[in-house]
Amino acid sequence: MDMEYTEEQRQLMAAARRFMESECPPSLVREMESSDLGFSPGMWQKMADLGWLGLPFPQAYGGYGLGCVDLVVLAKELGRALCPSPYLPAVVLAGGAIASAGSEEQRRAYLPRIISGELVVAFAFQEATTAYDPSGVALRATETPEGYYLNGAKMFVEFAGAADRFLVVARADGSDGVTMFLVDAKAPGIRLTPLRTMARDKQYEVTFDGVAVAKEDVVGPVGGAWPLLEPVVHRGVIALCAYMVGASERIQELATDFAKQRVQFGRPIGSFQAIQHYLAQMVTEIVGAETTTLYAAWTLDEGLPAREAVAKAKVLAGDTFKQASAVGAQIYGGIGFDESTDATLFLRRGKQYQLSMGHSGYWEEVLAAELLDR
Amino acid sequence: MNFRFSEEEEAFRREVQEFIAEEMTEEIRSRWLGGLLDTEERRRFVTKMADRGWLAMGFPEEYGGAGESMPLAQYILNDELHKAQAPIVGKNLGVVVNTLLHHGSEPLKRDFVPRILRNEIQWALAYTEPEAGSDLANMQMRAVLDGDEYVLNGQKRFITSAHFADYMWTGVRTDPDAPKHRGISLLIIDAGAPGITITPMWTIIGERTNDVFFDNVRVPKERLVGEENRGWQYITEALTYERFAMTSFAPTIRKLDRLIAWVKEARIDGRPLAQDPVVRRKIARLAVQIEMGRMLDLRCVCLAASGDYVPYIEAAMNKMWGGIVETVLADEVLDLMGPFGYLWHDEGHAPMDGDVVDDYLWAGHQRVAAAGVDIAKNIIAQRHLGLPR
Repeated sequence: MDMEYTEEQRQLMAAARRFMESECPPSLVREMESSDLGFSPGMWQKMADLGWLGLPFPQAYGGYGLGCVDLVVLAKELGRALCPSPYLPAVVLAGGAIASAGSEEQRRAYLPRIISGELVVAFAFQEATTAYDPSGVALRATETPEGYYLNGAKMFVEFAGAADRFLVVARADGSDGVTMFLVDAKAPGIRLTPLRTMARDKQYEVTFDGVAVAKEDVVGPVGGAWPLLEPVVHRGVIALCAYMVGASERIQELATDFAKQRVQFGRPIGSFQAIQHYLAQMVTEIVGAETTTLYAAWTLDEGLPAREAVAKAKVLAGDTFKQASAVGAQIYGGIGFDESTDATLFLRRGKQYQLSMGHSGYWEEVLAAELLDR
Repeated sequence: MNFRFSEEEEAFRREVQEFIAEEMTEEIRSRWLGGLLDTEERRRFVTKMADRGWLAMGFPEEYGGAGESMPLAQYILNDELHKAQAPIVGKNLGVVVNTLLHHGSEPLKRDFVPRILRNEIQWALAYTEPEAGSDLANMQMRAVLDGDEYVLNGQKRFITSAHFADYMWTGVRTDPDAPKHRGISLLIIDAGAPGITITPMWTIIGERTNDVFFDNVRVPKERLVGEENRGWQYITEALTYERFAMTSFAPTIRKLDRLIAWVKEARIDGRPLAQDPVVRRKIARLAVQIEMGRMLDLRCVCLAASGDYVPYIEAAMNKMWGGIVETVLADEVLDLMGPFGYLWHDEGHAPMDGDVVDDYLWAGHQRVAAAGVDIAKNIIAQRHLGLPR
């Protein structure tokens, strides 16, 4: 039993903290909310140059071959800065799916270019359902002599407008499970419709109307993608948990500093127990969510059954960030709801991320099934 | 990062489990958190552990200890004892032995530590008074030095083990003029000394605690622990040990496991509970909150085991979350039962033997005892976050 970070993990944490503080101030976060792309290509390239885009990939393809605990270390720092980037969907999820299920040719063709920052692959998984698993996948893949035609619609596809390719999870006719396809973002029949969100990040509804895909662009076994994709999804969810823990930590720090300075009734409001007790509970929940997230990450790294641990981490980290962002804004009083206050950046993300990648209700049912149906 | 116990630790855990399977009886089982050593059976049970050297783990050999041991051994022992609702080895070791070893005089160490490690003597912690609850430093019981003896007058309240203890580990006021934190001393008092009157107070679940009255009780000054007027420092330091040695998350995990087993079988109004979406969601949420408690607990124990670090803040976080979760757990479970939830324990129709009624009533105690939820929040806010008083 050892809950210490390694020396390498501490160095990664410190480097990421320094980088984010200088390259990703709240002003950049705001700027990206009103940009078309939703992230800064310059910063993305610097993150690639630092090797972070290669963190989870095998060394054979130019990556660092690090584990999920290392991913948590980095994602937490991204979260502290509310860093807008395609890191989760493009690197952890789409890249992870190619690394996990792709053929040798596909890995060689895609992973080095994902790692270098040259290629953004959007992750087109979820549809117009709340489920974050194959039960929500209805997009049809119809087999032809040359390959497949895709017909259907994906929802909540992050950074679709900036993508070079889509990693599409679909249902091939005649097979029970799901199948993954790599699709050129400019292929005829693809239509993007932007979705305006609370966090003002760049999400799209993507419709596929008879989009042709070649046989060699099938990723993994036809009808058998989920066993290979589920651990990737778990890593993505844990990265989001770490991001939420980092963001919670930051809003807690900001609210605590504010409470020490803001004077009302002739005293700093941080001297009032009402405020003290909010912050004490908040910081405890953050430590709890962080440790629970690390436990799930460790479970994944060890190759142990992880569904229960991932579900618990997602519900807890989601609750924690939602609550920290709401209470944080409340401690700021009226200006916590002033658009120009940084607390509002957190408030608009707290609830959204709790609802993302499977909302609490979804993961609670996953957890209930693990606990009650076995 | 490694969440796995070592081979050696797992082997010790199995040894403890085997011991419990062999020695545990229904008479010993306690509905209370950290069952007291108030009966012959319970004392014998702990003495058997002492015979195996389990009370001596980690304490120096010159005072009857077993010397260096696995840092997590005591945690593993208590964890398993809690799961079995067996008597734990909490305050005698966690508070009395630790404090004596850190601050006690050589004669006190030699006199008391070996006897505690053999489970020959029992202790009551006597801090709380009618006017010193959450504001513990407001204790007023006077100790006035008269020759070679202190003379004690006053009252202690909620002294749970007083009716069977051999000694009381007592906070007394030795300097009434100093600021309240700087006028307290720690004394070891014979529970049977002339002038002590012990009267029972019955708690809401029918377990006993006590009022203790002191009328010119004389205590030799050699029984002073550490320096005079430094008692508050020793008490608060030891409360940290108490917070994580005595308030393990294992009982809460056991309650969840039992709840899940019950929900899998139970029918309410003829319908299987486990298929009700509302019930499923409740169980999941409870499991998440309890997982967080388990993680806070493990983190605290890891930090404590990693060296001289005293996890004061982490223990307060543990304490706070434990109080909150126990309350929510019992409340939600009774809700699932409808009117069957209010049947008293051992009543025929009571689900889960009516244990949850006790849990519900007792959860309130966990919110307030040994610096409860709200005091823990004060500690975290002021000591950890640096918010002004």
